[in-house]
Amino acid sequence: MNTEVSVLYFAKSAEFTGLKAENITVPSNISSLQLWQHLETRHPRLSVLRDQVVLAVRQEYVPLGEQPLTLRDGDEVAVIPPLSGG
Amino acid sequence: MAADGGQDLIILTTDKLSADSVSQSVTCPSCGAVSLFIGTTRDNFEGKKVIRLEYEAYSPMAESELRKICSEIRTKWPSVRRINIQHRLGVVPITEASVIIGISSPHRSDSLEAVKYCINTLKATVPIWKKEIYESGEPCWKENKECLWADAGKDPKQS
Repeated sequence: MNTEVSVLYFAKSAEFTGLKAENITVPSNISSLQLWQHLETRHPRLSVLRDQVVLAVRQEYVPLGEQPLTLRDGDEVAVIPPLSGG
Repeated sequence: MAADGGQDLIILTTDKLSADSVSQSVTCPSCGAVSLFIGTTRDNFEGKKVIRLEYEAYSPMAESELRKICSEIRTKWPSVRRINIQHRLGVVPITEASVIIGISSPHRSDSLEAVKYCINTLKATVPIWKKEIYESGEPCWKENKECLWADAGKDPKQS
């Protein structure tokens, strides 16, 4: 089953995609790594960040890995490059 | 943007921050100590002259992560009374404050330790990013070594 989620891009990832946000349609049981690979397919420049990025799903950090996300329509996913707050 | 969870005040703003204002907001009659941390912007990095910084945030999540930090502080140091965390977003000129943390407690040891914990945890977990703009050369998105997924945070044995 597919769901439509919004993807937010920050910092370097926003520069690489040229976007702050977009909506995508993906299977609801996709893994975080598969979701990242889907984003890389849409925006090949993102591949540079693969080892230095995590995702945030519904505002909780998720590392890139095999664990299945359970995405629902309207969920917010964010691409999170290394932090530099403070 | 401000959110007040009782005794925790968290503010993300493009306005200039004020240490006096933070200090006054956490001062309370039962507290003998107010501890402040002010993070300011340096004018140099590896010999390059920095002319300004630009901060970007995933604001709703930055607020929720800061709330988690406040909650952890209150668990570790139950005597802490008030917490005020302010982070500036957008352009921050050199020498101006990018973050101010104020914490009050009856005795000094708890607020001092809590402030240290707060800034260290903020740097590791709060989704805010800083870009350094140099006098010459390309701007650079900084990476906190505290962040687990930054290059510097990786085990050097791994490649």
